[in-house]
Amino acid sequence: MMHFLEPEIVATVGILATLVAAMLVRPRSTVPYWFGLVFSAAALVRALTLHQSTHLYGGVVLGDSYSIVVTVFTLLAVMAGLLLAWDPERYGAEFPALMQLAGVGAMVMGFAGNLILLFLGLELLSLPLYVLAASRRTPLGGEAGLKYLLIGAFSSGILLFGAALLYGATGSMTFVNFTAVHVVPGLMAAGLGLLLVGLLYKLAIMPFHMWVPDVYEGSPTPVTAFMAFGTKVGAAAALLRVLAFGFSLSAAWWGLMLGYLAVLTMIAGNMVALPQRDLKRLLAWSGVGNAGYVLVGIASHNVVGAQAALFYLLPYGLAILLAFTVVRILEGREEAPVTLASLKGLAYRQPWLAVGFLVAMLSLAGIPLTAGFIGKFYLVRGAIAADQWGVAVGLVVATIVGLAVYFRPVQQMFAPGEGATGRFTVGTGIVLAVAALGTLFIGIYPEPVLHAVIQSARFTWLH
Amino acid sequence: MLAFLLVLIPWIGLALFLLPKAWVKAGAVVLAGVEVVLFARALLAPLGRFLATVDWNWIPSLGVHFHLSLDGLGLFLVGLATVVTLAAVLTSPRDRGAAYYFWLLLAESTAIGVFTALDLVTFYVFWEVVLVPVFFLLGGWAVGPARSTALKWLIMNLFGSLFMLIGIIAMGVVHAQETGHLTFQLASLAHTTLVPAVAPWVFLAFLVAFIIKAPLWPLHGWMPPAYSDAPAPVTAVISGVLSKLGVFAMVRVLVPLFHVEMSQAEPWLMALAAVGLVYGAELALRQKDVKMVAAYGSLSHMAMMALGIFTLTQAGLVGATFYMVAHGVMLGGLFLILGWYEEQTGSRELRTLGGLNQSVPKLTVWFQIFALATLGLPGLPGFAGEYMIFQGLIQSNVTVAAVAGVILVVAAWYMLRLFQGAMQGPRAAGRPPGDLTTPQVGLIGALGLLVLVLGIWPASVTSHLPTLAPAGVHQAAQAAHRQGGERA
Repeated sequence: MMHFLEPEIVATVGILATLVAAMLVRPRSTVPYWFGLVFSAAALVRALTLHQSTHLYGGVVLGDSYSIVVTVFTLLAVMAGLLLAWDPERYGAEFPALMQLAGVGAMVMGFAGNLILLFLGLELLSLPLYVLAASRRTPLGGEAGLKYLLIGAFSSGILLFGAALLYGATGSMTFVNFTAVHVVPGLMAAGLGLLLVGLLYKLAIMPFHMWVPDVYEGSPTPVTAFMAFGTKVGAAAALLRVLAFGFSLSAAWWGLMLGYLAVLTMIAGNMVALPQRDLKRLLAWSGVGNAGYVLVGIASHNVVGAQAALFYLLPYGLAILLAFTVVRILEGREEAPVTLASLKGLAYRQPWLAVGFLVAMLSLAGIPLTAGFIGKFYLVRGAIAADQWGVAVGLVVATIVGLAVYFRPVQQMFAPGEGATGRFTVGTGIVLAVAALGTLFIGIYPEPVLHAVIQSARFTWLH
Repeated sequence: MLAFLLVLIPWIGLALFLLPKAWVKAGAVVLAGVEVVLFARALLAPLGRFLATVDWNWIPSLGVHFHLSLDGLGLFLVGLATVVTLAAVLTSPRDRGAAYYFWLLLAESTAIGVFTALDLVTFYVFWEVVLVPVFFLLGGWAVGPARSTALKWLIMNLFGSLFMLIGIIAMGVVHAQETGHLTFQLASLAHTTLVPAVAPWVFLAFLVAFIIKAPLWPLHGWMPPAYSDAPAPVTAVISGVLSKLGVFAMVRVLVPLFHVEMSQAEPWLMALAAVGLVYGAELALRQKDVKMVAAYGSLSHMAMMALGIFTLTQAGLVGATFYMVAHGVMLGGLFLILGWYEEQTGSRELRTLGGLNQSVPKLTVWFQIFALATLGLPGLPGFAGEYMIFQGLIQSNVTVAAVAGVILVVAAWYMLRLFQGAMQGPRAAGRPPGDLTTPQVGLIGALGLLVLVLGIWPASVTSHLPTLAPAGVHQAAQAAHRQGGERA
């Protein structure tokens, strides 16, 4: 009981410490970055050594192994974001604190068992990101920030309205009090629908995804990398939690709906990624497609599906971090746009960078011996166990489209020609190595990680 | 353990990147040579359980075992992979660089993985990883529109195999629902029956994946550009080894798991293969490019193997398996010869060539031996394989047997036309090409010896093969088969 939510507490203390440090040192100092990194690492270590299973205040705060997994994933994203942005002159002293704040927001979404807490987490995640998205002083950066702010505020409003309707229908804000109805009555259905829409906006599920490419392209790459991993972790975790804890009995209703959206998102997301020339936009669309994969697990509304959705976040996150790290290295300090043509000849100029990118693309494409294959395997198993054959076929079709998406940049790397050359820094080097080795390790010997993650999403009452 | 070593050792090829450029080929030769030695060990002395099999609980959470076994069915295809890869490595130019040799070795490793896997997920992992090295080999070293050739290979094959993945998982999930035990072991899944609404679709998913990989008509779209544009050693590996993956998987996976569906669909499957047989032969007859004659001829041969498998008789299955091994050595050798031929003459056009038999006697002799073996001359292995397949065909479908008989004549026609056009007749103008060097003769002589052994003594392979025909299918045919007193 006393250890309850300690990682989150450490992370929160870290924010304050980082802010204070930022005020005390010179503006160009890396000290706030070190503070952010060390506190995040401390929180990560604490999370990895913690065994907690406490539901506080009648299920309002759900501190269990599920929330630990969410915290671990989020902290990985925060640390990667910090390491990629390790340049105080460019990003300023307030960057680490904002990044950590967004991270804590995603963690809150992980343990939220109540709509108010969920909303709190969502806003905590989003507000710092609005600032960070706009921190590139170019027209594209401004566009990204404004678009993200407007769409974000809009979706928060929808979510809040849904929460109000749910409260009106059930008299409670807590997930566990919603349950025990097989047929969702009108008011509750409207509430649930709006709540889902609000969360699907954050997860970037079609047709609520329009903001993604512009925001991902305009934001600084470290922020984009965090958004692609951390935001999706928070949104997916909250979505899975509210559906599994609050609406498990009406699963046939929302499972079907989410299944259709998942198929649409996977296939269309990958299709649109196909003609992209800018690498950040390509990865943004691939992020949309991958959100669809996560949704497959949630739509399966069974134990295997829930486990698969939670697990898939990790292979996806590692691969997308890896890809954005390569973008970050290639774009250099001037943050020049990285296109497919910039990759030309990369395999001969910078073989290690090319290997890292190759691993990311293989994993996103779902080739065996990389983590992405294990994730997709598990997702298909969930869909088939739920008798959702159409969703399984949709996933496969999307994967085939995805192959073309991910192998085009790979071919560019081996094509002759002069493209961009980037410089490694210590931070980018670490992210590149950890994400690449992690992807390969999970692909070759997935059992330890897989076991730990799926044990924490054993929502056995689902089936 | 031996199977695992065979899969593992080519990965040491990663170290080739560390070697100085002049040593890369030597390193690759050593690794490929070690593979052949390991295979020889497996062939010459009986293997204990420890040496023959690994069965590790790889991913317990997913019910996946890492299960490889050097059994009688896969053993000779493993041998084929080691021999053809060694030949391909030996005939590759010295300056190709580490990446080329690494991908070649990786293709060998994954092919051996497919030939030895007894767990469906292990099987699938190798089945899909094999695409990656070939993708890079085609993309990096093929001539012509290499990038689209490579992408075509990758996407067509993955199209099939990803649907197969659904099928594999469905088998596992259904088995788990029936028994409460999640597993993908072939031996366990053989007793799983899918519901009738699903079974044909799952069967189809497997079948399409195998047809694409083989390739068989009508899903052979990736084959013509890949065979014609790849460098000769790579074509030898693709046509000799990798094309066997698809038909081998039919024997390994389709027959035990889906023999009921197969026997229900037999007329259709036979018709499909028969059309492929005619189509390949017909196109081989019309090609003007020497490599394409062999490529389309190979398409026709793959259909012949498929016919043998679709009979579901012991004779047909044994014949098809034997033919896979023999065809791999023959086609591998033939493509190497055609590669040297192109190297010497600078052309592959039948029309511009001819009359070389006077200037290059050694090349002519070996070309002729391999051409005759491929067309099915008795005493050479093509004949032995086709004979057994015919035996199966006559037991199950005489009409198709008649069609196949006609095609045998056409096969002789296109192979002889190839040989005649390239080697005999009036001398083409231009500088006389050089003949084979001594190392080249040694290499092709070794392959030729192998072909002779297989042709004269097919039982060297067939006596190792287990009972392949599923019980309870074609009982009448089986009874007739037994009455005939035929040795299986």
